[in-house]
Amino acid sequence: MKVIIVGAGEVGFHIASHLALENKDVVVIDKDPAAIRYVSDNIDVQTINGSGSSPVVLVEAGIKEAEILLAVTNSDETNLVACLVANIISSSTKKVARVRNSDYDEYHDTFRDHAPHIDTLINPEIEVVKTIERLMSVPGAVDVGEFADGRVKFVGIHIDESVRLAGIRLSEIYEMTGKKSPLIAAVIRNEELIIPRGNDRLMAGDLVYFISEEDKLLDTLAVFDKHVEPIGRVLIIGGGRIGFRLANLLEENSVYTKIIEKDSDRCTELAEQLNKAVVLHGDGTDQELLSEENIQDMDVVITLTDDEETNILASLLAKRMGARKTITRITKFSYFPLMSMIGLEQVVSPRLSAINTILQHIRRGKVLSAKSIKNEQAEVMEAVALETSDIVGKPLKKISFPKGVLVTGIIRQDEVIIPSGESVIEPEDRIIIFAKRQAIPKIEKILAVKLEYF
Amino acid sequence: MRWRFILNIVGILILFLGISMIFPLFFGFYYKDQSVIPLLKSMGITIAAGFLLNICFRKQRVDLISHREGMAIVAIGWTAIGLFGALPFYLGAEFSTFVDAFFESVSGFTTTGSSILTNIEAVSKGILFWRSFIQWLGGMGIIVLSVAILPFLGVGGMQLYKAEVPSPVPDKLKPRIRDTAMILWKVYALISLAEVILLMIGGMDLYNALCHSFTTMPTGGFSTKNASIAHYDSVYFDSVIIFFMLLAGINFSLHYQFLRGKPLAFWRDSECRFFLGAVLVLIVIVTFNIYGTVYETIGRALRFGAFQVVSIVTTTGYATADYELWPVMSQLILLLCMFLGASAGSTGGGMKCLRVMLYLKYCYKELFSLIHPHAVKHIKIGGETVPEDVVRSVLGFMGLYIGLFAFSSVLIASMGVDFITSIAAVAATIGNIGPGLGMVGPVDNYAQIPYLGKWVLIWCMLLGRLEIYTVIILLVPEFWRK
Repeated sequence: MKVIIVGAGEVGFHIASHLALENKDVVVIDKDPAAIRYVSDNIDVQTINGSGSSPVVLVEAGIKEAEILLAVTNSDETNLVACLVANIISSSTKKVARVRNSDYDEYHDTFRDHAPHIDTLINPEIEVVKTIERLMSVPGAVDVGEFADGRVKFVGIHIDESVRLAGIRLSEIYEMTGKKSPLIAAVIRNEELIIPRGNDRLMAGDLVYFISEEDKLLDTLAVFDKHVEPIGRVLIIGGGRIGFRLANLLEENSVYTKIIEKDSDRCTELAEQLNKAVVLHGDGTDQELLSEENIQDMDVVITLTDDEETNILASLLAKRMGARKTITRITKFSYFPLMSMIGLEQVVSPRLSAINTILQHIRRGKVLSAKSIKNEQAEVMEAVALETSDIVGKPLKKISFPKGVLVTGIIRQDEVIIPSGESVIEPEDRIIIFAKRQAIPKIEKILAVKLEYF
Repeated sequence: MRWRFILNIVGILILFLGISMIFPLFFGFYYKDQSVIPLLKSMGITIAAGFLLNICFRKQRVDLISHREGMAIVAIGWTAIGLFGALPFYLGAEFSTFVDAFFESVSGFTTTGSSILTNIEAVSKGILFWRSFIQWLGGMGIIVLSVAILPFLGVGGMQLYKAEVPSPVPDKLKPRIRDTAMILWKVYALISLAEVILLMIGGMDLYNALCHSFTTMPTGGFSTKNASIAHYDSVYFDSVIIFFMLLAGINFSLHYQFLRGKPLAFWRDSECRFFLGAVLVLIVIVTFNIYGTVYETIGRALRFGAFQVVSIVTTTGYATADYELWPVMSQLILLLCMFLGASAGSTGGGMKCLRVMLYLKYCYKELFSLIHPHAVKHIKIGGETVPEDVVRSVLGFMGLYIGLFAFSSVLIASMGVDFITSIAAVAATIGNIGPGLGMVGPVDNYAQIPYLGKWVLIWCMLLGRLEIYTVIILLVPEFWRK
């Protein structure tokens, strides 16, 4: 499978390295020779120095054989033109463009329907607001993925010392809590991904990924001692485009929202556009302002300024002053491993959100959605099982799945089944599969190749 | 630097080498000669050593290989391969000292073709096959081969590939390095096969056809005959070998493009034009120089002149004539050819045409800016601007190459070797050619070089094959600093 990526910025680089590790043929195009050198020095992909919107360069990159073109340069216009040009040369290639300008927001669907040269527009800001919304809805969650239109959630939570389950074997969870053990797909311990068995213990410091139906989610979270506290008050620090978008959404859901912005002109603008939210002019790291605005009573503090260091400090300050939960916006990927060390577990990044969305479009075959988990060692996919597939019609334990693959959910019409070894997948079921990175190409084959022939 | 990791990979390379000893062993058994025992012994030792290294330094997780580690693996790996590759020679009857065996082995792997042997035809067939086979392995690169075959090197393979095939402007034929390495080896094997067939059509037996193909395609130059190609004294063999030496001296990515149905690929590439043009001009000059003075007919002058020029400029080192009997002008041209070398991305050695081209263009640019001090001018190759840092690295390479050549020839001279021999021996080993002038001419061999001199030349051969930087960097203290 060949993928062409236009733009070797952080998003382009990240997707390229992700795909190169899955043994896909990746070609990266960028105008900046230094960026191209960095890519070719660090990942096993082909690089071309040139403009991604030029037909000559696209042909050189092999657009005719490419399955997907991802246009992720910093310039929206370049991305759109690259898709247009690619369409003229090779209309069968799927084209995805990242577009950040909010003027396009209203037109995403229009583009999809009326502009045949672009298959999908992705706006990282919209994606990041969606991520924040999901994080707020699940207490204690560090990472939330939704499948089957939100009916199944894939949740990552941190186990700390206060959790009863720390140090307990999976098989003992029932005795301990009196509740059925949730299906734990993976544990990340010291950056290492483990697929746990009944005899394995959970440890303090683990990041645990489990799968749950939406209506049973609260019960499941209770197993991990995470309890729902309704979110009534939210403080947003940073009134940029993401902040505004989020405030707007919270207003619609009747959440009491305060928003702090440094720039007074921007404050005026926000006040004009928002109806119920309180717009405050000031610095988000100003202790006095924060206590004046009763930060200790806030359910969630979300720091969304353009300066990530400010966000980190503001979140730490809010936590110290009594805010129940913080969500921090970060751009630099190199900061991610630091965040859980300093106690800021809920982190969002427009780029990471964009990458996750783009990944869904790369998975081929009948994969409906996909989500990469925290350190990208594994992915969760939702797919339709067709009659012709090998996985249909026999108990799961009789199917020889590649190593590192787990079927974590079967959705049959309105019913959600958390499977056991005896469960049988029927045609047209939607299945949720957890797969380690090494197994992804094989899983894609199981799901896709057979289907393409019939 | 993760030493366990580096030694682990080196262990795998050695293991790999041990397994490849099965091929000469086959010929040993077939001809039932005395090479079987030494080959079996060396195979056992090599496999055991590789296995031990691999087991002792088993790595926890295969991660990315850093640029530095890549260079260390390649430099250490090549030295180790040279050492273990010398075992069949050392354990056999023909080499008395270990340094001779090591010299022959390194000369093989680096595709130099300088030999210690005085009577090649007396050596057993199995050992002679090994001698040719290691040139074939070393030509396209033993590490490129392992990148192609061993899947786990995939991620770090690129760093290794860059350290072993350090072209000024690297080509990547396919998005993944493993596929690129695979293609190069396939093209290489295919052309070698074509040569075997053509040689056999001319009447050579399979054994000699294989041995000669295995030393033509990597531009190696070991022959199974004392008199080299002159032994056959055949216009047909001469022309077939000239043709394949030229192919081997051209960038292999052009062969790939040609095979994929782009017949103009050779013509479109400016380095290839430069290389073929230079060869043509030099053949004409040498032919006219030796016509009348050495050879009576123009036909014979062209035949021997062309063979010798192509043999030296592609850094193969076969001989059909004793060029030391030629006029001094021709000898000097051949000596200078040793520096020019073949194309980048070919199996040939020397400084490489691309670098020489860049260097000439740089000189012209300097002159040009003396005349037009305000002119903005870039160095272009094939219509494309060459980045400033590539130019700098090429200039650095030329400087180091000449510097190391000068330093090493003074070292050789200090051991009492004569003037011409010192210069030519170093030029012929650092450029991976083989025969030089004087004591190491086309009809002589390197047996008379003093003991220490052989070590210096072994070092020169490795320097030349890995294109200076990968080897010399190990001597820079900064490299080892944590």
